[in-house]
Amino acid sequence: MVRNIKTALGLAALAFAFGSHPTVYAQDSMQHESKTKTLGTGTFHGKVHSTSGRATIYQEEDGKLVLRLTNFKTSNGPDVHVILIAVKDADDDANFLKSGVERVELGALKGNEGDQNYEIPSGTDLNKFKTVSIYCERFNANFGAAPLEKF
Amino acid sequence: MNAQVESWLSRRKWILVALGLPILVAAWWAFRPEKLWINEKVSEPAPFASNSDPQPRYTGLLEGKAHQTSGRATIYKTSDGKQYLRLTDFTTSNGPDVHVLLGRGDDENLKEEIVKGQLDSVELGSLKGNQGDQNYDLPTSVELQKYNSVVIYCERFHAVFGVARLEQF
Repeated sequence: MVRNIKTALGLAALAFAFGSHPTVYAQDSMQHESKTKTLGTGTFHGKVHSTSGRATIYQEEDGKLVLRLTNFKTSNGPDVHVILIAVKDADDDANFLKSGVERVELGALKGNEGDQNYEIPSGTDLNKFKTVSIYCERFNANFGAAPLEKF
Repeated sequence: MNAQVESWLSRRKWILVALGLPILVAAWWAFRPEKLWINEKVSEPAPFASNSDPQPRYTGLLEGKAHQTSGRATIYKTSDGKQYLRLTDFTTSNGPDVHVLLGRGDDENLKEEIVKGQLDSVELGSLKGNQGDQNYDLPTSVELQKYNSVVIYCERFHAVFGVARLEQF
């Protein structure tokens, strides 16, 4: 009886040793702590108006939020704006006016190519507005969307 | 009939021009067709306080294969030219002899959970922890165009825990 219990305990210990791998937690810091924080990033997709590149949201030391587009390229067009939208993602040519998608205006697109920054109004809820859209206001068409993911 | 139309046209030519011009201008304003050929290129600097901070070059999200793995992998370049990999929001299952590698995105081996062939990879070191933020130095001459994926790899069982495809930042 006692031997049986001992065997069972031994087997249980063995099973535990093999089955469980305790969590090892690492905590390296950035190699030079930057004062500007990167909050989220994502890449553009858009085939109809071929839009590509990366959108990243930074928080500056004073708390200001900045959207930065890098390696960016879209088709030029009339009255194109950069907006944040309160949806997970958007299809090519999606009409946000018709579908009543909530948005935050960041300004007219500065150029259809190249690196560019846009200020985000203070108090913008980035948990809600988590997709960047390049939006043609004149024809209410989404040129390209970049869903942001936590950096 | 034809002659009549022609004479009407010639007499009223200025009316047609007066009507047509605003329509043409409106159509031009609405469509701005010249923008199809004209590119506007801008190049603003990054909103960093200084350029001595490490700059992110590539980033990607980890996807679990043989074991649940998640988080972000980012390759930074420091001002002195050194490169390092940083894992953030990272979590994987702990295991024996787990390493961090750079692999080729087009490698068939990485599509499977268990690697059967020879894995073409660059070793970055043993996994420091199965959770948490961690840095790994990259060898000085590593071709990131070729080795464009981060692999969390169990050497003992040839198991791919997770893979992150890196994209240009």
